[in-house]
Amino acid sequence: MIRVENLAITFGTGRNAVQAVRGVSFHVKEGESFGLVGESGSGKSTVLRAIAGLHSHWTGRIEVDGVALGPKRPRAFRKLLQMVFQDPYGSLHPRHTVDHILKEPLAIHGFGDREARILKALDEVGLGAEFRFRYPHQLSGGQRQRIAIARALILEPRVVVLDEPTSALDVSVQAEILNLLAQLRKEHGLTYIMVSHNLAVVAHQCERIAVMNRGNFVEQMTDRQLRTGTPTHGYTRQLLVASKGFDRDAIAGFVEFE
Amino acid sequence: MAGDALLVVEDLRVSFDTPKGVVEAVRGIDFELGQERLGIVGESGSGKSQTGRAILRLISGNGRIAAKRMEFDGIDLLNASERRMRSIRGNRISMIMQDPQYSLNPVMTVGTQIAEAYRVHSKAGKREAKERALAMLETVRIREPEKVYNLYPHEVSGGMGQRIMIAMMLIPDPDLLIADEPTSALDVTVQLQVLALLDDMVRQRGMGLILISHDLNLVASFCDRVLVMYGGRIMETLDAKALHEARHPYTRGLLNCLPQLDGSHGELPVLKRDPAWLEAGGGAP
Repeated sequence: MIRVENLAITFGTGRNAVQAVRGVSFHVKEGESFGLVGESGSGKSTVLRAIAGLHSHWTGRIEVDGVALGPKRPRAFRKLLQMVFQDPYGSLHPRHTVDHILKEPLAIHGFGDREARILKALDEVGLGAEFRFRYPHQLSGGQRQRIAIARALILEPRVVVLDEPTSALDVSVQAEILNLLAQLRKEHGLTYIMVSHNLAVVAHQCERIAVMNRGNFVEQMTDRQLRTGTPTHGYTRQLLVASKGFDRDAIAGFVEFE
Repeated sequence: MAGDALLVVEDLRVSFDTPKGVVEAVRGIDFELGQERLGIVGESGSGKSQTGRAILRLISGNGRIAAKRMEFDGIDLLNASERRMRSIRGNRISMIMQDPQYSLNPVMTVGTQIAEAYRVHSKAGKREAKERALAMLETVRIREPEKVYNLYPHEVSGGMGQRIMIAMMLIPDPDLLIADEPTSALDVTVQLQVLALLDDMVRQRGMGLILISHDLNLVASFCDRVLVMYGGRIMETLDAKALHEARHPYTRGLLNCLPQLDGSHGELPVLKRDPAWLEAGGGAP
């Protein structure tokens, strides 16, 4: 479904140039969920944004559904691939009602039957029709993220890219959103690429995982390899140890990976 | 521990007057703190941050603090004059706020702010304060302290801002540190390194530490004791080591809904809330 080859992105020029992504390659099969983990600045979100078409100056090759993509994306691409952002407080327009937020993509892409589609989308994300005319500030964080997911799904995309979809939420709400995402993937046969700094979240949600550090893939593995603790690279092992909690001896052994 | 408690809080209540009526953020909690690491965990809206702020009487204008007793090292914090409170804040009790971008002065370089924090409380000269500030930046693992010293808050990342806040709050050498999600913007390895630094302050200098966080596992692995808050009340107090034997259904629910590294792709258990938890005495199962 998705094939990325030798993707590289540099921000700035000359002495200020920062190589955010230094040539990564991977592919994601239809219906699969692929996870990108790494620390801040590792380039994981940049990869995602390049695929979604939010960065235009990348080099390499990005293919979605067999079509090689350029920096500018045709309108049909948006129907194929949608994105959910980290911060539901920032990604919804504060002065648009839920109805307006969900209607806008339908209008842009010329969908008919808007009323029914909006009600169906609300129902699918576990919110009732009573949420339709509310503003984002009248919703909790979890409800807002549900609206953001509804907005992504209302165009019936086949690929959804998710940038830290639960990191702004309480753990109890995170569980609800992760369950919802898993259920929607099953029902619609969606393909996911999910970025997170949380190893456990990615291990739960994805079948294959790539670990990133400083713009490179450190390693790619299956969820089973991550779970059974057989990652080969020291960086991944350090992340695993760190995610288990506070341990003075382990912390003393932390090193920087280049 | 009761004999040498640094902080004693009895029946603390924090409420806010809003156009829609009174909102009770904290509804009568008791706890003591010695020279130890105490964790307060709970979800957003549980009252954990307001508890931390109430100790320093940093509650906004429409808020009210009431308590039977709130004493720090023999000082009555409830009735102390505002002047007295100013001499305590920052000097004897410091607080690391959650959001560095709002807590730092945007028109002053971060180094000057840290040096100022030192000078206000120690009467040191400018040069000494700068040296101390640079050393402190290094202690909180900032790579190029000389360069960072001259940056403005908008020029640093969220994670670096948090470390700068920590440096600023530690430099006056407080007896009690209240840290409200001090490491939430940091990468997990840096987060643990910063916590190790706070751990040193507790062990070597006998500082008391209140760590406010939503991360149960982190708090349990770091602290000595943990208070679990929900709806402005303490649900249970646990020995951190015994977190996984927690009995209260709220604590159990929070633990269960975390995805596990050794778990499966199956559905995660969802927390079911019981209104009975919020009734008086609802804390003990």
